Amino acid sequence: MTPPPATAAVDMMRPTTVPQDSQINRDVMSVTKGVSWQWGLLLSMALIGVAQAIFTLAYQTYVGLGIAGYQSPVFWGVYIINFVFWIGIGHAGTLISAILFLFRAKWRNAINRGAEAMTVFAVLTAALFPLIHIGRLWKFYFLIPYPNQRALWVNFKSPLLWDVFAINTYMLISIIFFFVGLVPDIAIARDRATGIKKVAYTLLALGWQGTGRQWKAHNRTVLHLAGLATPLVLSVHSVVSWDFAMSIVPGWHATIFAPYFVAGAIFGGFAMVLVVMIPVRRIFRLEAYITDYHFDNMSRFILFTSLICGYAYGAEYFIAWYSGVEFEQTSFWLRLFGPYWLSTWFMISFNVLFPQLLWIKKLRTNVPFLFVLCVFINIGMWFERYVIIITSLSREYIPAAWGLYIPSLAEMSILLGSFCWFSMFFLLFLKFLPIIAIAEMKELIIHDKAHAAQESH
Amino acid sequence: MPTLVSVFDLPDDTALAIRKLKGRGFDDLESYSPAPFEQIDDAIDERPSKVRAFTLVGGLTGVFTGFLMQIWMSWEWPIKIAGKNFASIPPYVIIGFELTILFGGILTLIGFLLVGRLYPRPLDKAYSSRFSAEEFGIAVTVGDRDVAEVDALLRSLSAKEVTLLDD
Repeated sequence: MTPPPATAAVDMMRPTTVPQDSQINRDVMSVTKGVSWQWGLLLSMALIGVAQAIFTLAYQTYVGLGIAGYQSPVFWGVYIINFVFWIGIGHAGTLISAILFLFRAKWRNAINRGAEAMTVFAVLTAALFPLIHIGRLWKFYFLIPYPNQRALWVNFKSPLLWDVFAINTYMLISIIFFFVGLVPDIAIARDRATGIKKVAYTLLALGWQGTGRQWKAHNRTVLHLAGLATPLVLSVHSVVSWDFAMSIVPGWHATIFAPYFVAGAIFGGFAMVLVVMIPVRRIFRLEAYITDYHFDNMSRFILFTSLICGYAYGAEYFIAWYSGVEFEQTSFWLRLFGPYWLSTWFMISFNVLFPQLLWIKKLRTNVPFLFVLCVFINIGMWFERYVIIITSLSREYIPAAWGLYIPSLAEMSILLGSFCWFSMFFLLFLKFLPIIAIAEMKELIIHDKAHAAQESH
Repeated sequence: MPTLVSVFDLPDDTALAIRKLKGRGFDDLESYSPAPFEQIDDAIDERPSKVRAFTLVGGLTGVFTGFLMQIWMSWEWPIKIAGKNFASIPPYVIIGFELTILFGGILTLIGFLLVGRLYPRPLDKAYSSRFSAEEFGIAVTVGDRDVAEVDALLRSLSAKEVTLLDD
């Protein structure tokens, strides 16, 4: 009998080592470890931005809404635009986490956590704007139906009230969805943390151990929440669109508004997912998890929703012309060639013309190009809301009552603050919770491993 | 009663081991898995999770609350708005729908916490951070006399390791 080779003998003598932690745990959790000066700088900038907006808001609350650019006949301005913009940004997260889940699109796994976080933060940003817009912040509770000394109930026939219910439901359901998905990943963090972080993660992980019963409950919960969130997300932006479409203002009173807003929201939201995830992927070296395949798929989504937006823009003009209604026709003519022509052309070129470049396969996976394009799309989507709101309000039925609206410094300060507020949440999220849904990615990794093992047999 | 903790690499092996153990009458067992695998969860318990009942109850509560609240409030202090009925159903569909989702979602979360027994608590002795890496575990509690038999069974079913926890 030949003796075993020397290396094998050494292997036999070596005590069994504790297996290394899995690669994906280390890769993703490394994002939360340590704080770089760049991160600190970004967070400080975000905090300064939020602080200046709080100062503006305090000043506005003290002196009144006069410091916003409102003047007759335009009393919905940048605050409402921001509200619609941020609500729209949130939609991509729910689409990725709920609708793509129901369609079993496995490519969502790499981006769904980032997108869900974005949804929660975007809705938290959007929800501030109705309050900022009403001026008298302390009266917001008038919108909630409860027995009161005014002996009145709210008007359930008003789309503004539907919005209160839609937005609050959306906010709560997004947070629940986000949290349920996080529980298994918080348990991963808990098992590897020490000190105060361990205590926090232990409380948040709720004793998760990945037992059969827990996974079964988890799968069922995610399925049901996805089933609930899918009609919800479509309803939320529809209700937002009805804030406009239920009126008789020319340019607003259109049946196409609900699908038009929903498609636009998903379009803008997807662009924001890319704007946020591209730097994160680059800085934290997550190229192995967020690949060209994901960029290609997201680009196709952006292209598709851009086409829907383009169709909606076209349909609006067609109906305005075909209706024969003078007011509609004037309203749409003035959008293109009136005082706000620049915003309209921004909207058309950034949202419809530029994204057509995504027909080219090479550009769909060209990351720097996608980043720039998505920044433009976000600007375009902001201008879309600007066009819808401002052009229609400033040019209503009676030319004698026409006016011009120019955003004021205060409104710009709060617009800047809203981006900083959103970034602040996202930067903090990066350092406390895993940016990629580890357990869901592991499902794919282990599936591949099992497949490889089967083939080698 | 001693507990045997076995470690597996692949989900199918884990599910098979659970079924074999159950087949031999060792029912007091728990699985630990780093990711959701239906074969394992079904091997532990074939029945669908009870979370679904919570969603149904929540949704129904929501839809009734939504409509009844609006109808009652409209009648309680009737004000004619735009010549419409005091309680006109079409515009009430929206808030009825939103509350269906809201109550359904909240009850689903509560169901998740109750059914999954999720609340801050000490972890099982058999649990370790390996099971939140990429390995699968089965903890089975057996009588003293059966330890050797179960140990042999698990090893024959491609368990990488079997350790004995005594308590």
